[in-house]
Amino acid sequence: MNLKLKFLSLLLVGMGISILTTAQTPLDGLMMPKGDICVAVVYEDANWDKYWEGTYLRTNQNVGTFNRKMVMPMIVGGITDKINLIVSLPYVKTSASGGQLAGVEGLQDFSISLKAQLVEHTAGKGKLKVFSNLSFSTPASNYLADYLPFSLGFGANELGLRAIGLYELDKGPYFRISGAYLHRGATQAERDFYYEDDAFYTSTMDVPDALHAQASLGSWFFQKKLRVEASLTSFRCVSGSDIRAYNSPQPTNKVDFDRLEGFAQYYFNNVKGLGVLAYYNHMFSGRNMGQFSGYGLGLTYQFNAF
Amino acid sequence: MKIQIRYLFALISLAALSYSCMEELPTELEFSGYEFAALDKDAGEWNLILFSNNEEVVISQPSAVGSPGLNQELQDAKAKIAKATSSQKEAVNYWTNNPLLRWNEIALELATKYNLIPAPNADGSYPAPDPAKPDQYPLFPYSHPPYTSRMLAYLSVAQYDGLIMAWHYKEKYGRPAPYELDSQIKSAYEANGLNSYPSDGAVVAVTSRDILTAMFPLEKEFLAKMADEHLESLILAGINVNSDVEAGKLIGNQVAKKALARAATDGMKNAQTNKVKSDSIKNAAITRFGWSWENMETPQRPVGLTPLFGKVKMWNVPTVEEVRPIAPPAPGSAEFNKDAEELKRFANNMTTEQRRVANFWNDGLNSYTPPGHWNRFAKETAVKYKLSPVRTARVFAYMNMAIVDAGISCWDAKYYYHYPRPIQSIPGFKTILGTPNFPAYTSGHSTFSGAAAEVLSHFFPAEASQYKKWAAEAAMSRIYGGIHYRFDAEIGLSQGKKVATYSVIRAIKDGAETF
Repeated sequence: MNLKLKFLSLLLVGMGISILTTAQTPLDGLMMPKGDICVAVVYEDANWDKYWEGTYLRTNQNVGTFNRKMVMPMIVGGITDKINLIVSLPYVKTSASGGQLAGVEGLQDFSISLKAQLVEHTAGKGKLKVFSNLSFSTPASNYLADYLPFSLGFGANELGLRAIGLYELDKGPYFRISGAYLHRGATQAERDFYYEDDAFYTSTMDVPDALHAQASLGSWFFQKKLRVEASLTSFRCVSGSDIRAYNSPQPTNKVDFDRLEGFAQYYFNNVKGLGVLAYYNHMFSGRNMGQFSGYGLGLTYQFNAF
Repeated sequence: MKIQIRYLFALISLAALSYSCMEELPTELEFSGYEFAALDKDAGEWNLILFSNNEEVVISQPSAVGSPGLNQELQDAKAKIAKATSSQKEAVNYWTNNPLLRWNEIALELATKYNLIPAPNADGSYPAPDPAKPDQYPLFPYSHPPYTSRMLAYLSVAQYDGLIMAWHYKEKYGRPAPYELDSQIKSAYEANGLNSYPSDGAVVAVTSRDILTAMFPLEKEFLAKMADEHLESLILAGINVNSDVEAGKLIGNQVAKKALARAATDGMKNAQTNKVKSDSIKNAAITRFGWSWENMETPQRPVGLTPLFGKVKMWNVPTVEEVRPIAPPAPGSAEFNKDAEELKRFANNMTTEQRRVANFWNDGLNSYTPPGHWNRFAKETAVKYKLSPVRTARVFAYMNMAIVDAGISCWDAKYYYHYPRPIQSIPGFKTILGTPNFPAYTSGHSTFSGAAAEVLSHFFPAEASQYKKWAAEAAMSRIYGGIHYRFDAEIGLSQGKKVATYSVIRAIKDGAETF
C-alpha cells in the first residue's frame, strides 16, 4: 500500500514541478498494482522577477514580478501490476505585478500517460528497476500560446518517451535517473505573420522538441512513512530562436533551464490511503524563460477499486 | 514479457507517426511567374511621380536586331543559360517576371527585423538609434509604423517612375526579347512579347536595392547580394541580354537618387525630437485642451515616438491641417465615458473572436506593421489580377503614398490633440495588447487601413467590400485590444479615407485609366 502512495507522490512531484515546459510526465520509479486508483490534487505557486533573454538574465519593470498559480487534479490507475495509466488536467492562472498587460487563466493541457515496468532484479543490498513511460498531452482549452509570458502553456500536442532507472537500497536510500525526448507539434497563433530569423507567412508555429533529464537522490524514513528527495533537472529544446532584444518571447523560442528541487512526502498512519507532499524548486540557469522559484503542496488518496 | 514487447511496439509506432506530420512553413508569398493580363504598352506615357518627363533619365539607343553587337550578346546569354547551376535556376523561379513583388516582400522582412523598441539603460534612461552609427545598439533604424510607411512609399514610387521610363523606352526602341530573336533561347516565364530594352527587372532590382540600402544601411551587403542574384536571373531566364540589363540599371540608379534626394529633405530626420521640444508640444496641448498624454512604461519613456512625423512632407495632400480631424471628446465627458465603459466591457467579456481580431491585426513590435499588412494584401491581389509590373507598381505607389500621407496626418492629430491612452485615463485598466509609445487620438491602424482600403478599392472595385471589411476590422481590433477608444478608431478610419482621396484623384488623372 505504501508503495502505491509513494508512486503517486513521486508522480505528482514530477508533474507538478515540470508543468510549464517539461510536460506532465511521470518521472518516478514506482508502480501501482492492478485495480488500485489514486486521486490527487497539487497546488503550485511560482514566481520570477528576472528572465533570460537568450542567455542574458534581465529584469523588466513592465512585468515586475511574474506569478503563476496552478491547481492540478490527477488520477492514476493500475491497469496491471506492470502497466499504470495516469491522467491530469491542470488549471493555471498567470499575472504580473508591473505593466498593464492582462494575465490569463484557464485549463491548460490534458495529459495521459502509460507507464510500464520493464526490468526488476535484486542487485547487492537493493533492487534495480527500469521503467518506460509514454505520454501524450494536448491543450484542453483554446488558450493562446502566442501570448508570452502570460500564456498558459505552449499550445501544442506533445508526445514524450522516457526511460527511468532506479537503484534502491533495502535500507531506504535510492538514486534515480531519467531521460526523455519530448516531441512537440505546432501551435496556432492568431496572427498569420511572424519573424523567426525569417518572415513566416502562416499562423502555424513549430514548437521545438525538447530533451528532459533528471537525477535524484532520496531516502525513505520511519518505516517508509516519510520520503525526502533532492533532484537536479535539465531541460533543453533541441532547436528554436532566442527572444529578440526587449521583445516578447514566442512559442518558437529555444527554452532551456536547469533546476534544483527539494521534495518531501508523508503518509498518515491513522488515515488509510491518505498522504501529503510538499516541494520547493529554483532555476539556476536558463534560456528564453523566466527564472522561476516555486513551491507546491499536494494531497493524495488511494484506494482499491477493482 | 509479452506485455513489454507490445508496449515497446506501441511506442515505436507512435513516435514514427508523429514524425510524419511535420510540414514546411511558408516564408514567402507563393506564386510563380505568370502571363500578364495586359502588357500596358502605353504605360510610358503615364504621369510620373518624382519626374516630369519620361526621358529625364537618358539611355543610349540599343544596337539593332541583327547587329553583330546584339548577336554577340545573344551568344553570351545562351552560354550562360547552358551553364546555369541549379541554384541559379531556383533564383529564376524565385524572382519571377514581376520581381517588384519579391522586393516588396524583402522590404517587409527588413521592416520586421528592425521593428524593435529600444530597451532602457541600467540608469533608467533610454538610448536612441543613431543613423551615423547604425550598428550600435539600438540598431538603426527602429522601423516603427511611420518609418515603415515612409520607406514603402519611397520604394514604390521609385519602382513606379523607373518602370514608366522603362516602358517608354521599350515602346520607343521596340527591341524584342532574346527568346524572340533566337529560337534556342526559351523564356523561363510566359512568353508575353514585352520588348526587352531596357530591362524592367533591372530597373526594379537597382531602385529597390538603392532605396532599401538607404533605409536599412546595415543590410547593404545582403541587398547587394539579392540584387546581383536578381540581375543575373534576368539573362538566365531568357528575357534580357546584357545591354537590356545595363540600361535598366542606369534608370534604376538615377531614379533611386532622385527619390533619396527627396527623402533627405522631407523632414523625417527631425521627426524624433528631444525632450525639450517634446515637452513644448505637450504643453501646447495642455494649454489648448487641458489634457495630455503620458507614456505609462517603467521607466517612463521621456519622448513619444516621432512627435514631428506630422510635419513630414506629404505626397498628395497640400497641407496636413486640411485633413486634421475634429477634436476628440474631453476625458470625463459623457461621450468619452460611453466609449471608456465599452473598453471595460470588452476587457471583462472578451470573446474568442474578439481576441482573434485583436491579435490578427496587432502588427506591433517585431512585425511588418499595418502598412506592411496592406502591402501584403496588395501583393496577393496583384497576382490574382495578373497585373503587369508597371501596373503593379502603380497600385503600390498610389497605395503607399496614401498610407504614408495617412500616417503623417494621423501623427499630426496624435501630437496636436495629445490624447491619453485608456491605460492612462481608466484607473487599473489592463489590456491584451501592448500600448504603443504615442498618444491615442487618432488610431494609426485605422488611419493607415482606411487609406489603404480606399486606394485598393479604387484599383480593384470588385474587392472593395472585402477591403472595407478588413479596414473596419483593423480599426475595431484596437478597441478589442484595449489600446484605443471607439472614437480613435472611427474617426481614424474616415481620416485615412479622406487622405487617400487625394491619391485616388491623382491616380484618376494619370493617364492609366483611359481604357
